[in-house]
Amino acid sequence: MRKYAVIYRSVLMENLQYAANIAMGFISFLIIIFVFISLWDYMYASPDDLIAGYTKEQMIWYVMITEMIWFGARSATITRQAAADIRGGNIAYLVNKPYRYPLYVLAKYTGEWNIQLPMYAMATAVIGLTMVGRIPNFHVTTLLLAVPCVLAGVTIHGVLKLCISMFSFWIEDSNPFQWLYDKLILVVGTIFPIEIFPAALQPVIKLTPIYTVCYGPAKLIVDFSMEKYLEILLVQMVYLGAGCGILFLLYEKGGRKLYVNGG
Amino acid sequence: MLMAVKNQIRVCALSVKYNIMREMLNKVTFLTNILFMMLNNATFIIQWIILLRLKDNVGGYTMREIMLLWGLAASSFGLSHILFARVFSLPDLIVSGKLDAYLVQPKNVLLGVMTSGTDTSAIGDFLYGLLIMCIFCFSVKRFFLFLLFTVTGAAIVTAFALLMGSLSFWLIRAEMFGTHMVGSMTSFSTYPDGIFKGVVRFVLYSVIPVGMSIYLPVHIMMDFDRARLFVVLGYTLLLTAAAVTVFYRGLRRYSSSSLMGARM
Amino acid sequence: MKVIEAEELSKNFKVKQKEKGMKGSIKAILHPQTEEIKAVDGISFGVEKGEVLAFIGPNGAGKSTTIKMLTGILYPDGGRIEVLGIDPVKKRKQLAYQIGTVFGQKEQLWTHLTPYDNFRFFGAIYDLSGGEIERRIAELAEIFELADFINTPVRNLSLGQRIRCEIVASLIHKPKVLFLDEPTIGLDVVVKENIRGLIKQMNRELNTTIFLTSHDVGDIEKLCKRIVIVNSGQIVMDDSMEHLKYHYLNKKIVEVKLQEEAVLPERKGITILKRKGGHIKLEVDTSVMKINDALRSIDAEYVEDINISNIPLEDIIMEIYRSKERTESL
Repeated sequence: MRKYAVIYRSVLMENLQYAANIAMGFISFLIIIFVFISLWDYMYASPDDLIAGYTKEQMIWYVMITEMIWFGARSATITRQAAADIRGGNIAYLVNKPYRYPLYVLAKYTGEWNIQLPMYAMATAVIGLTMVGRIPNFHVTTLLLAVPCVLAGVTIHGVLKLCISMFSFWIEDSNPFQWLYDKLILVVGTIFPIEIFPAALQPVIKLTPIYTVCYGPAKLIVDFSMEKYLEILLVQMVYLGAGCGILFLLYEKGGRKLYVNGG
Repeated sequence: MLMAVKNQIRVCALSVKYNIMREMLNKVTFLTNILFMMLNNATFIIQWIILLRLKDNVGGYTMREIMLLWGLAASSFGLSHILFARVFSLPDLIVSGKLDAYLVQPKNVLLGVMTSGTDTSAIGDFLYGLLIMCIFCFSVKRFFLFLLFTVTGAAIVTAFALLMGSLSFWLIRAEMFGTHMVGSMTSFSTYPDGIFKGVVRFVLYSVIPVGMSIYLPVHIMMDFDRARLFVVLGYTLLLTAAAVTVFYRGLRRYSSSSLMGARM
Repeated sequence: MKVIEAEELSKNFKVKQKEKGMKGSIKAILHPQTEEIKAVDGISFGVEKGEVLAFIGPNGAGKSTTIKMLTGILYPDGGRIEVLGIDPVKKRKQLAYQIGTVFGQKEQLWTHLTPYDNFRFFGAIYDLSGGEIERRIAELAEIFELADFINTPVRNLSLGQRIRCEIVASLIHKPKVLFLDEPTIGLDVVVKENIRGLIKQMNRELNTTIFLTSHDVGDIEKLCKRIVIVNSGQIVMDDSMEHLKYHYLNKKIVEVKLQEEAVLPERKGITILKRKGGHIKLEVDTSVMKINDALRSIDAEYVEDINISNIPLEDIIMEIYRSKERTESL
């Protein structure tokens, strides 16, 4: 396990130097957050309205947290880089090295989001407290309890995206699948909570990764309940276990194909 | 003079034609790119169906206006990226000294640079805009206005990108900043202006030129007003002239620059 | 008539300095340190009409910077330039109609198009009419022997074919001066030879003035009548090829292989460079002793093999660089 820690640390060091670039990335983040604040401001005719059971503050915080996860987990390592490694045959060299490629990529990814996510989290907190106001019934303890859910959500996101990149062993371009997954998370998952959809659709959406990657963590921060907490943690563990299982299965199968075809 | 203009247009047209020919080398990729982009844009309809279920209008916009807004944003962004895609990578061209090749040609440097590349998926954007416009709010007059505003919108996007990109003549680190500013135009242009208030509204009509490229044209298309039409046209000319001036200022600096170690 | 005139041309670059490590990176952001480098330092020269001039020097000597100033890409910090009587700084566009440029390291062709389509594009850039372009393409295709691949997309051409097309594209508008920046870089020996032949032919048949930069000595030896050597932004030597050869090529290397250990008489003008058994390497100073006299001193009966050659130009140029540095350090 130590070697993955070393990979993680070197990526962390490298990325610290690009902190300025990440800070620039805030411009886009701020603008999007700002658009959503304006949008929900408009949607709530009076401050006491409830939409799908959410107060205005809860709604905006919810969107900010899902966007925070989305921006914080952005990485070319698990998508473009991994797909290019596989397609370009670079992986043939990496396969020989004494580490497992998926873990190597995930360690790199973790090094990346460990810098990005806290920065976005800070920005979220500052904007939220200055422009939106406190979340009703918020306790620091529930925030601390929710942190593992956020981290698990980001990790699951990485595992799933890397799984899609593994498709590159078989198909020319895995991008359309990345795109489908991204659209699912972005359009259906980040803009509104699941409760806003028609009742018939809600159970279906709960079955998708949206539930563990963005809905779960954000919901727990804005509206904590122990019952939900345990449920979401459980689902996340199932997703993480299954995701990793599929990831290694794909990698083993794909790697063998590589071996047979000689790269 | 007229001859020179004619020759310049001939070269630009040839450039654009060759760009598209290059993209069409792989026909399957070409078509998938276009279709995927159209599909991509279409997914946002879901968002608006949901939002309009909660309230019958958002910022004064019903589905019809939202679609017109989206259509214009997609078309003008698309047109700009089809014809002048390279303007969006201007910082890179400046920093790595790639403008040299255009400086030895006896033609307009700016047009030569801007038309030297294209973006296939932008064709999808352009078509999507037209399609949406025709499906949701077609009228003959509106159609022609839509085409006009697609052109002015594309000119404004291009000029803004040129202005932001030209910053790199002075500051190498301006690249990221400029890219995000240009990106912000897209974020704003797909939401109704009615939801923005106060200072932001002012910013959207000044610093980030979404107001003049998208919002005002949408209002004009819904409720025709000649005076406002001239405002849009005037603004387009002004911004374009400003951007071109700044670019040529920068180009002079590029040629006389002393901070170009990489270019030796 | 002088086609190119440069007087006291100079250009300085500022180069960023960065100290090692993390500390250095932070320091570089807060207090950027720059060092000024004189890329071109007061050089003057002229080129006659129809001349082929080689502008040579090691990497970073200021060759490309000079060519960029002559073509109007870069503005000089000091000095005066006139190309075809035009100041490139003030009238870049006007000048562009009359000159051609080939940058060996940068491609100007559209790689997905055929050479033919490319030439039509460049023809349009120079305002040629359709008919003119056709005539010109036909003419150049014959000189440069493009017939076999004029309709093959550029990306499918070999490097040598590609560079031929690059040159043709820059000749489409009948430029009076052609600037070639490292035209043979990365080519194999046979292709290099072919390109050189074509450039020579073009100079002869079209009377195009050619300004060539290179660090390949072969280019210069085969092509040029005049050679300007630059180093560290200054002209080290500006001389005719013949003169250069006369001054520096007055030594011949003679390698002989003798049947048995024959004794060679030590004579003035002959220096023995290396001797190993029957193999002997001599240097003959032809200003002191004629080469046939030197040969006569070797007993022909015992000779198994003999080889006479000039000192490679590369060595001569190295020698010139070195002697210059020596005089500077004195």
